[in-house]
Amino acid sequence: MGSAGLHLLLLVVVAGAALRWTSTQPPVQLAIEGVVVDAKDLPKSARAGKPVPPPRTAPPPEIPKPRLEPQPEPVPPKPDVQAAQEAKAAERAAEARAAREEEAAEQQRKAAEAERRRVADEAARKKAAAAAADARRKTDEQEKAAREAKLRSEREAELQRQLAAEEEAAAVARSGVVDEYRALLIQAIERNWIRPPSARAGLECTLYVTQATGGTVIDVKLGTCNGDQAVRESIANAVYRASPLPAPRDPRAFERRLQIVFKPTE
Amino acid sequence: MQAGTGILRRAGALLATLALGLLAVAGPSHAQLRLDITQGVRDAVPIAVVPFGGQAEGAATGVAQVIGDDLRLSGRVAPLERQDMVAQPTSGAEIRFQDWRLLKSDFIVVGRVEPDGAGSAVAFELFNVQTGQSLLAQRLPVGSRGLRATSHRIADMIFERLTGIPGAFSTRIAYVTAEGRPPSQRYRLVVADADGFNPRTVTESTEPIMSPAWSPDGESLAYVSFENKVSAIYLQRLASGERRRVSARAGINGAPAFSPDGRKLAITLSRDGNLDIYTLDLGTQTLTRVTSDDAIDTEPEWSKDGRSLYFTSDRAGNAQVYQVALDEARQAQRVTFTNGYNARPRLSPDGNELALVTLDRGGYRIAVLDLKTRNLRVLTNARQDESPSFAPNGATVIYATKDRARGALAMVSSDGRFQQRLSSDRGDVREPVWSPFPGR
Repeated sequence: MGSAGLHLLLLVVVAGAALRWTSTQPPVQLAIEGVVVDAKDLPKSARAGKPVPPPRTAPPPEIPKPRLEPQPEPVPPKPDVQAAQEAKAAERAAEARAAREEEAAEQQRKAAEAERRRVADEAARKKAAAAAADARRKTDEQEKAAREAKLRSEREAELQRQLAAEEEAAAVARSGVVDEYRALLIQAIERNWIRPPSARAGLECTLYVTQATGGTVIDVKLGTCNGDQAVRESIANAVYRASPLPAPRDPRAFERRLQIVFKPTE
Repeated sequence: MQAGTGILRRAGALLATLALGLLAVAGPSHAQLRLDITQGVRDAVPIAVVPFGGQAEGAATGVAQVIGDDLRLSGRVAPLERQDMVAQPTSGAEIRFQDWRLLKSDFIVVGRVEPDGAGSAVAFELFNVQTGQSLLAQRLPVGSRGLRATSHRIADMIFERLTGIPGAFSTRIAYVTAEGRPPSQRYRLVVADADGFNPRTVTESTEPIMSPAWSPDGESLAYVSFENKVSAIYLQRLASGERRRVSARAGINGAPAFSPDGRKLAITLSRDGNLDIYTLDLGTQTLTRVTSDDAIDTEPEWSKDGRSLYFTSDRAGNAQVYQVALDEARQAQRVTFTNGYNARPRLSPDGNELALVTLDRGGYRIAVLDLKTRNLRVLTNARQDESPSFAPNGATVIYATKDRARGALAMVSSDGRFQQRLSSDRGDVREPVWSPFPGR
């Protein structure tokens, strides 16, 4: 209710303001109109290149017209000498103005031309650089492709070798020889591992062991280990004590490198 | 369609490349066999303790003997017999490791006794025979307690390096001896080195002495003496011999046990009719009753945090171990359920186990109860074993046993694998208690 009333009030105020605006604006608008008329006398050349001034918002057309009477009459050309001189002077002034304007326009044109050239040069340079980069990229890509191809073929060859080795290993594994070999090694090491009291469930220590063909342990390296000094000593010694390690039934199951994980269950 | 196939082909090639790359990264360049070791043997660690060199040959030879005997007594280290030694190096440079490898010794100790100012010092070095690596090298001046004490210290260091357990060879044991027949009996409270050497009488009486207990600092003993014909509890400082009577109440005064902070004794008294557990504040003399059951409650032992007591009670008809909290409620909980007799609980140094006497297959034997799992592990197999006490490193339990009807001392490793008797030259030996580590 109150809001509707307020809206109504606002509407009335706005309408009133609009009415007042339409009735008071015209005189101001007239003076401006006169200046515009004067500017129309300027030579076309002076106007060339200049942006056409944006059209002013036209006043409501119906109101100003009837009040045009007070505008002064245009002065008619004077027939006498003074008038002729004045006309000549005016003509010179106009010419000078025209020349100045011509010159300004020329400078502007030159500046524009220079700018066009600069832009064109820039574009050309960029195009050249891009072309060079493109060429370089193409070369790089070719080299890279060649490298990758080489690498791929090497990898494929390696893969082939691995596959062959795995095939062989799988064949041996299928025969159960590897499992048997593993069991032999585990037994030999477990029999020789004198477990210190600190080697409890939760312990996990890895040894990397290298053995010679006859089973002689030639290198023992400790990997990760959460045990104390006594544990570390005991596991390495377990492997040394078990040396020479047992040989597999099938020599193909022999593995020089062993990864031994000590992980007591209780 | 054409473009689509091209993209697919390219994607396929990319995948193949990726897969190859992954293989190259993940796939070992050399195969290796993985072995999982889940078990080991409980054998003793083989070591050669070579007779030490040095100026006084006899004494120096004794050093290796003491070290070897200590290690052998632990049951976890097995010194090579001297007659099996192929050489007697006294320094690392003289060791031919392959010889000792053939003898299946994993470790070797060599050393010398050297002049050191007015006195002497012992230099020793421990090697891993398999790798030739030096594991320990020390030079210890021989102190006022002599070459034997120095040898025990060396044994402690070697034992810890090989087993991960601190050695307890420099600690002491207290026990009671009884000689003669009534009426001319002689009772002694004795303190000796952990290997039984250097026995020293703390007190003696014609009347029984019982239940010795070490103070946590290892400087005093509490014990029960009937020297006035009735039982009383005494406290005695070892260094000065100074002693005081802390409880001589009517009836039985027995089974003293020090609280972990050394300020209180848990004791057994019969002043209120039957045997019950009390605590006695040694500073204020305040006596606090802990149990008040009609049954016999005795042999108290403090928990590690000092907030409860383990004790023996026959409230269920036969002797079992209970635990009572030292709070307002004082509610006792039964702790042992295996076997019909469990008594004389003694806590392990880590507080996780109780050594006790259990009736197992017709014999009174030493067992260890795991307080978490409630598993009872019987360690001995004689018929009359009693009075277990843990070594301060928890690795060994000392106890009393019968040797041809005479009381004798014996030790068993806490895993039950290794037992050894301590020979006694005279009389009955009973109630051994192992001291704490010195200075704790």
